[in-house]
Amino acid sequence: MSEARNLQAVDFDARARQVLSQEPLLSAKDVEVTFSLRGNKLVAIRRASLDLYEGETLAIVGESGSGKSVFTKCFVGMLDKNGSITHGSIEYDGMDLTQLTEKQWLGVRGKKIAMVTQDPMTSLNPLKTIGKQIQESVELHQGLRGAAAKAETIRMLEAVGIPDPERRYKQYPHEFSGGMRQRVVIAIAVACRPQILICDEPTTALDVTIQAQILDLIRRLQKEQNMTIIYITHDLGVVANVADRVAVMYAGQVIEIGMANEVFFDPWHPYTWALLSALPQLGVKGEKLPAIDGTPPNLFNKIVGDAFAPRNKHALNIDFLEEPPMYEVTATHEVKAWLRDPRAPKVEQPNAIKLLESQDGKSKGTDPNAYHPHLDPNRQPLIEVKNMQVTFGTGRKKFVAVNDVNFTIYKGETFALVGESGSGKTTIGRALVRINPITAGEVYLEGQKINGKITKAQDLNVIRSCQMIFQDPMASLNERAKVDYIVSEGLINHHLYSSEQERQEKVQKALEEVGLLPEFSSRFPHEFSGGQRQRIGIARALIMEPKFIVADEPISALDVSIRAQVLNLLNDLKQKRGLTYMFIAHDLSVVRFISDRIAVIHKGRIVELAEAEELFLHPLHPYTQALLSAVPNPNPYLERTKKLLVYDPSIHDYSTDKPVWEEILPDHFIYGNQRELDGYRKTLGL
Amino acid sequence: MAAKKERKKTVQELEAPVVNLNVNYDTVDTEPKKERPMGREYPKSRNKMPEKQLFEFAEYHPQDAERTGYSNYSYWKSVWANFVKNKAAVTMLCVFIVLFIFTFVAEWISPYKLKELQQNNNEIFLLPSSEHWFGTTQAGKDYWVITWYATRVSIGLAAMVAVGQIVVGTIIGLIWGYVRKLDRLFTEIYNLIDNIPTIIYMTLIALMVGQSVGIMAVAMIAFGWLGTARNVRNLVFMYRDREYNLASRCLGTRLFRILFKNIFPYLISVIVLRLTLAIPGTIAYETTLSYLGLISEEYSLGILLRNSRDYFLRFPHMLVFPAIIVSIITITFYLVGNAFSDACDPRNHV
Repeated sequence: MSEARNLQAVDFDARARQVLSQEPLLSAKDVEVTFSLRGNKLVAIRRASLDLYEGETLAIVGESGSGKSVFTKCFVGMLDKNGSITHGSIEYDGMDLTQLTEKQWLGVRGKKIAMVTQDPMTSLNPLKTIGKQIQESVELHQGLRGAAAKAETIRMLEAVGIPDPERRYKQYPHEFSGGMRQRVVIAIAVACRPQILICDEPTTALDVTIQAQILDLIRRLQKEQNMTIIYITHDLGVVANVADRVAVMYAGQVIEIGMANEVFFDPWHPYTWALLSALPQLGVKGEKLPAIDGTPPNLFNKIVGDAFAPRNKHALNIDFLEEPPMYEVTATHEVKAWLRDPRAPKVEQPNAIKLLESQDGKSKGTDPNAYHPHLDPNRQPLIEVKNMQVTFGTGRKKFVAVNDVNFTIYKGETFALVGESGSGKTTIGRALVRINPITAGEVYLEGQKINGKITKAQDLNVIRSCQMIFQDPMASLNERAKVDYIVSEGLINHHLYSSEQERQEKVQKALEEVGLLPEFSSRFPHEFSGGQRQRIGIARALIMEPKFIVADEPISALDVSIRAQVLNLLNDLKQKRGLTYMFIAHDLSVVRFISDRIAVIHKGRIVELAEAEELFLHPLHPYTQALLSAVPNPNPYLERTKKLLVYDPSIHDYSTDKPVWEEILPDHFIYGNQRELDGYRKTLGL
Repeated sequence: MAAKKERKKTVQELEAPVVNLNVNYDTVDTEPKKERPMGREYPKSRNKMPEKQLFEFAEYHPQDAERTGYSNYSYWKSVWANFVKNKAAVTMLCVFIVLFIFTFVAEWISPYKLKELQQNNNEIFLLPSSEHWFGTTQAGKDYWVITWYATRVSIGLAAMVAVGQIVVGTIIGLIWGYVRKLDRLFTEIYNLIDNIPTIIYMTLIALMVGQSVGIMAVAMIAFGWLGTARNVRNLVFMYRDREYNLASRCLGTRLFRILFKNIFPYLISVIVLRLTLAIPGTIAYETTLSYLGLISEEYSLGILLRNSRDYFLRFPHMLVFPAIIVSIITITFYLVGNAFSDACDPRNHV
């Protein structure tokens, strides 16, 4: 715990008064952006309006395709070349940004409005040193030259929290980690001393612990340089962390905008309701999450009425006919929903929204009627892993991805494996379905060894019993094969049908089971959205009638509104078919909702393994504690006052006292040496 | 449940009671049904609906929600649409098709038949006229019939060799790229063949095995697959570790099924491109070999060009006609190949 932090609670009322007393710094009115794509017109932004006030942090939330990125790209004149602003104005500093020529843009872009993009891996030039890249920006925008520019660059590196800046100045991007690169990108953007900084999902590609540090950094820089920040994200936890005001976008429109506390605790658009109530943090374990059906609309089609209406369980008839106007809820809170019309029936917000205000980071409980395998004294082990080691490469390039891992997965449970990118969690999952060969150790399925040399019959049995669901629904389906082939691939491989008719029946049944229409089987994957594609992937695994499924981050590539669908489906299937899951994730809030037991993995080693609630209540290993402290909480008050713990692996001194894998409490395992174990026992009061 | 109840009542406008919006999600019908293929019947305009009803809760259909994100983009349709946009390529393709059909028709409409052509010392080197449309050769034979027959032979040979090269190249390339253990072996074979000029192999085969068109075609296939194989191998590297291939391995799919169902379809555009470029390449190569005297066919475009070299200054028709035809074929396939490769690039599907 090298660093702890305590933030001030925010006074949203004071911020609201501040907003009301100001003229907007930037004001976008009725902006419409049209793209021409494959001969068709796509209206990506449908007359959206937005005001930005000086010194505030405005978060724009929305799913992919909602137009949040495109909208803000208009503010810096960086639309793709097949898109153009076809209506509306953007007032800033006495100019209309929609009318600027490319030459005039040079005076605004970067200098006054700068942008930080999502992927730090691609936004830096790999052939130039970090120092050169920042210095370029310093020279261009601050007019410094030579030694002065270098000194300023080094000061910038220090300001964004890069240790040893003198040495780092001469290094290339590949020598930096993802989080460090994002700091460099921020340094380049901030070096121009912009008035407005647009951050487009700056932490989406980063691990949770790094994410929290970057958010902190941006907040600090904002205070130091008095910047106004627009923050684009799909993660409501991040919004709660950073935003003074929140704008919710759907299908190219701002549908709700208000102070963060208003949008979180008193939202009025059914879409905002649905988004917030679908959060797994608010779910009761064993019960269904209130999911939103379907997917965001295809903007090629003309949208009549409220774009959300077909997915809205509380839609009014008028929602299908006419677009709602903006209704004022308070002076700072506006919403675009017919439900606020005086003629509409008076309604109350759904219960989940009321829960949000009392959201305290504690579990919402578990359903006592559901089966909880960890409470079952007669539980049977399904998968047993003993001293598993996986290495890649040979000789000098040898890399140990998974090191001496032990765990047991019991029948009927969801076993979660949580860790950061590169920790080896996916490698373990793939080793269990035998895509990655194991270097040392043993894996048992129902007591039978399944790694190494096994008989052909056993091999087929393992293939049928253990299946996998993949992370990226875009990459995990063969684009050039029909859904029919994709789903029945396993059947064909093992001749699990006696006639063509039986095969088709099985495919239809599998599709229905995952909530897809049977007619979909004759289509190609590109016709489906991410959530539907993920369900096709689930159907492909299910048709083998497996006992055990490795789900490798099955929801992390999906939109927020679709995640709940997939989580519900997985839980449903688990109950109906008695499936056992290994759920690989990096997001602890999801894991708490879905899993029975959680293993935390760090650098190829499982450091702690316990029952889900036990782990959240009594995290022992410092890494687990750091991970838990970084979990975003969709409550602006709590999120802003949370303490962030940073894990420093050098606190472990394993030179003389060798660490062991110890069951410190029944069903609570931890990795540590004797001295540390004694410490953990003390904390537990043993 | 609450929402459903509310629908039956007519809303008493402003005095409407507060509605509890908590939907019991277990009772919501999430199983999409086949019966409403068209989804909800929407009223077309608000005039048809009384204002009271406008502000009532609408019925909720999950299958309508399921349809919201549907896209009807099709890759091959877009490829075709883009290809057709390239007027030059389409025109040349039509010209080539006409030309190819004409190679069969030409002899039929001519008074001379190939089989009946005889040496005629009275009619040597006649310039094109109404009697001999393309003139005559040094042996006094009708050049029209000979030229079109030679075209047919050359196109046939080119098509055979090109298809052979691409088929062999693709199969080897797929295995080379996908099976890690064989990578080293194939790389060495590739280096061995590629580092010695092909013309040396061709000369040796022509001198030792024979100079017939069949033997030379086999030889051209045997040394011509290298480029395609290497190209395909590099592409397979790109697709090999995609998640959908891992999924197939998880399902126990056999190697050859993975190669032909999962990887081959992604390479079709590249393969077709290579095929279109291999045809003019083979014609040019055949011309070279004929010119060097390595092919002992009586007539082919290459042979005609070789034969004309001694006379073309005095009798240009000997060179001009076969040269025009070779040019048309080469330009056609060059344009078509380029247009096709542009059309295949998804970035151009805008």
